[in-house]
Amino acid sequence: MRLLHRELTKLFAQRRSYVGWAGLLAVPLLMTLAIYLSSRNHHPHDNGPGGLVTLASHNGLLMPVAAIVLLSSFLLPLLASMVGSYQLAGEAETGTIKTWLMHSISRGGVILSKWGGAVIYVAIGLALVAAGAFVAGGLAFGLHAPTLLSGQTVSVGQGLWLTLLSYLYVLAGVICVVSLALLFATFTNSSLTAAISALVVVIVMNILGAFSYFNFLKPYLFTSRVDAWQSLFSQPIAWSPVVKGIIVFAIYTAGLLLAAWYVFRRKDILV
Amino acid sequence: MNTSATMSGGPPASAAADGPPVVLATHELTKSFRSTLAVDHLSLSVRRGDIFGFLGPNGAGKTTTIRMIVGLIYPTSGYAEVLDHQVPRDKREALRHIGGFVEVPAFYGNMSARRNLRLLGSLNGEIEEARIAEVLDIVGLRERADSKVGDYSHGMKQRLGIANALINEPELVILDEPTSGLDPQGMKDVRELVRELGAHGTTVFLSSHLLNEVEQVCNRAAIIDKGHVVVEGPVSELHPAHAAVKVLTSDQGRARQVIAALVGAQQVIVDEEYLVVEASDGSVRELVKQLVAAEIGVDAVIPAHEQGLEDYFLGLTQSSDVDASRARSATGGASR
Repeated sequence: MRLLHRELTKLFAQRRSYVGWAGLLAVPLLMTLAIYLSSRNHHPHDNGPGGLVTLASHNGLLMPVAAIVLLSSFLLPLLASMVGSYQLAGEAETGTIKTWLMHSISRGGVILSKWGGAVIYVAIGLALVAAGAFVAGGLAFGLHAPTLLSGQTVSVGQGLWLTLLSYLYVLAGVICVVSLALLFATFTNSSLTAAISALVVVIVMNILGAFSYFNFLKPYLFTSRVDAWQSLFSQPIAWSPVVKGIIVFAIYTAGLLLAAWYVFRRKDILV
Repeated sequence: MNTSATMSGGPPASAAADGPPVVLATHELTKSFRSTLAVDHLSLSVRRGDIFGFLGPNGAGKTTTIRMIVGLIYPTSGYAEVLDHQVPRDKREALRHIGGFVEVPAFYGNMSARRNLRLLGSLNGEIEEARIAEVLDIVGLRERADSKVGDYSHGMKQRLGIANALINEPELVILDEPTSGLDPQGMKDVRELVRELGAHGTTVFLSSHLLNEVEQVCNRAAIIDKGHVVVEGPVSELHPAHAAVKVLTSDQGRARQVIAALVGAQQVIVDEEYLVVEASDGSVRELVKQLVAAEIGVDAVIPAHEQGLEDYFLGLTQSSDVDASRARSATGGASR
């Protein structure tokens, strides 16, 4: 906890943290604006990617989930790999990692707190997205009892609850990316190398997931699980893909973290 | 080659019994990176209250040794010991007693000095604001305490590194080339600071490639070269004997043989074109007489001590064929 507290102090003192958050916050705002303007100009088909995004054009309450449909494919993984790699390799770049490690702290604790800091960073980012989307969506379209993908309408409370669940689910998926970036950061002293490596892996997984030829791989790719939260927005809720997704995320995260710890534990710090 | 290191090595059990306790010892510490041997069975010991100079040319293995002592890298074999805590085995316990920096002190440039110390200084346990102010005062950064470290000059960062080293009042302070890159005034300030630390009873392990620095500041020193200890002992005994002379003759090769026969091969080292001979005053006369008798033309006989330690140091670390024997004589003298 002592270490994690320092990680947060550090994150809040860095300008780049705010740039990332601002980028995330911009998405729901721009999206709401785009949908709002196109609906006023009577272009009913210009509603973006469809599905939840279309539903959100009538109800600000659905704007947060519409925003993560857009974010989860690129910007979120990007920020997750940046922060995950920077947490460790960035400290190697500035040399501060040696200042840390010359104290009476365990390397396992350092890895865990770096990871925890990155996770909290991403969580804050997601919270900002949700908040921004609620405010913007609410102003533009009002907050009503939401209509689900399957056509039923549920209460506002139920809608908020489903939104929270889907955000937590996406967070769990993004944590895989954070852990991946952290693992790569244990191999290199360049945060850019680690971030790009992690992003490449995510993109390759996405490509593999996009071709039916590789369908046999799909159950094992965490990237193919990220969209499973959308099943929460049909009644009755199909829990199975969500539960399976959580299990896959947990296995990836545990495996990657363990590997990162294993590499870092005996790593020679030569910066 | 390792004989010298072994002989100068770790605290002999009998020696450890008397005198101040050993704060830092390395035991046959060895580190190889792929094919290169950076540190080669390096053993030394530092006692409480010592200002210990860790002296050697660049690339001798000083920083690698320090990294092993503070657990940043893992030795290939051997270990370090800080107040009975072995590194790397009991690294966390050992690091509780160590403050210092390796190479260049590293901080967060976007935070003030005070904030950096608050963040990093308290990793070993809570510290009070008063202590932060105190160490900033000691290193003379009080006025700039709230400026961003990114705006600091190299010298100020170096001083902040020392402040950070002191913050937990550690038993052992390890400073890696603390004066490197500083202007003369900055060097003087840092050396003064180190001397004050010593005066207050803190044990300091100071690495340096500057002999005069070690001479000015330290009471004991080890000279290392190619990863092993060449000489270890009190700084006063690192000097060549006062009557050392530099001899230049028409035939240095034969002259060396003649002189070696007279004073012993260990007393002659080659320093560029000169032979540096440790001899008592009386024997210089005899030496010249013998050289002349051997029909070797004597061009110059210069008192060597005026040349200072630099030449001696170069002689030790460059002429590897004599340094081993030299180490034996010097350490023999030191441990007596």
